[in-house]
Amino acid sequence: MCLGIPMQIKSIENYTARCEAKGVSRDVSLFMMQEEELNVDDFVVVHVGYAIQKISEQEAQTAWELYDQMLAADS
Amino acid sequence: MSASAKTWLERIRALPLDKADGRPIKIMNVCGGHERSITMAGLRKALPDTIELVPGPGCPVCICPEEDIFEAIQLALHEEIILVAFGDMLRVPVNVAKAEARTLEQAKAQGADIRPIASPTEAISIARDNPGTQVVFFAAGFETTTAPVAAMLAEGVPDNLSILLSGRLTWPAVAMLLDSGTPGFDALIAPGHVSTVMGPEEWEFVVKDHKIPAAVAGFTPESLLAAMYSTLRQLIEGRCFLDNCYPQLVRAGGNKSAQAHLATTMQVVDANWRGIGIIPASGYQLAEAYRSHDARERFPTYADDARKRAGEMPPGCDCAQVVLGKLYPNQCRLFGTACKPRNPIGPCMVSDEGACRIWWSAGIREPAAQEEREETLA
Ligand code: SF4
Repeated sequence: MCLGIPMQIKSIENYTARCEAKGVSRDVSLFMMQEEELNVDDFVVVHVGYAIQKISEQEAQTAWELYDQMLAADS
Repeated sequence: MSASAKTWLERIRALPLDKADGRPIKIMNVCGGHERSITMAGLRKALPDTIELVPGPGCPVCICPEEDIFEAIQLALHEEIILVAFGDMLRVPVNVAKAEARTLEQAKAQGADIRPIASPTEAISIARDNPGTQVVFFAAGFETTTAPVAAMLAEGVPDNLSILLSGRLTWPAVAMLLDSGTPGFDALIAPGHVSTVMGPEEWEFVVKDHKIPAAVAGFTPESLLAAMYSTLRQLIEGRCFLDNCYPQLVRAGGNKSAQAHLATTMQVVDANWRGIGIIPASGYQLAEAYRSHDARERFPTYADDARKRAGEMPPGCDCAQVVLGKLYPNQCRLFGTACKPRNPIGPCMVSDEGACRIWWSAGIREPAAQEEREETLA
């Protein structure tokens, strides 16, 4: 339950961002990111629908490789 | 395994790791995500025999008090409400007579309106879509999950939404283990996403007060191995400091806005952990200004004080020992025999973050020999 997933911001409206990862898009709350300047195309780590931290594109990539392995192992 | 993970492994193998007393060096992790990565990547087998990796209190579902789950089940069955909860909670069993609902899932089958959600924002949508109905959000989780619940409250929630809060803080469980005098570990891997939110400083007490090496890790094998290497070197050199092996996400001070939401909407109180008991200052309760959204105030209480004593793990289930790192999952006598993910006996086999479930997913299917169990308990 404490595992965050990296997603890319596609659009922002107030405190809600439309984010995408692996072709899936979701509304993500930015209400915990008020200290951070966020823009379209930035990557954030999302946990239970809330962005918890900004992350670089390269980091997002590394994290996804790991999750892919875990998901594959699980199925 | 990536090249850099292999390099870290080689570095660890090159360390002089033999302890004078011949006992292995135990490194504890306190995060289900860490345990999952370690197990799936096969790090236990890859590391030298002198190192043991111990899964510790890293599963919020596993330690969610039995009386809280019982209360959620009773509320959903007896009140005209919609109960929403993170999906993991739906299959966690409580100890009741055979004919009664043992889980939220069974209560749902008996007609209660119970819906799994993946985010607090879904609780808001459900409350908005059902303005004439009371919606209760049974919110269990550690800081990473409780902070979004706090953010949801701070942003404002519909009147018909209330919270049955069962949030817990991670570090007090580790403090309790360390204060007990028999912590059962020589080094600590501190949780990555809890530290992202709360700041790595929360874990300073491990090195400062207890002289136990610690490092915050991310979820890749390289980050975990780097953290292990760091704590092992600290141990060898007799020089402890809190290392941060997840700087990509974990920054000094953590996420200030998340912490502000927690501070505004919640208070830290002593709290019960299933099978473990009360741990001081380890739980969240809604702050005065948000009490009107407290399900425990809004509805007649179904909490039954007798359960607080009885609220242990199911008979024969060693989950409490597993959570505290006193036993490995397969050392429970029911592991892989009576208890499997399809028919879980205890919460550690239900949750994706439960060590029993993780070990099972990784292909460990047989219970360990009785002697091994005794040895670990000794
Ligand atoms: S294997 Fe099942 S019964 Fe045993 S500790 Fe784990 S959850 Fe409990």
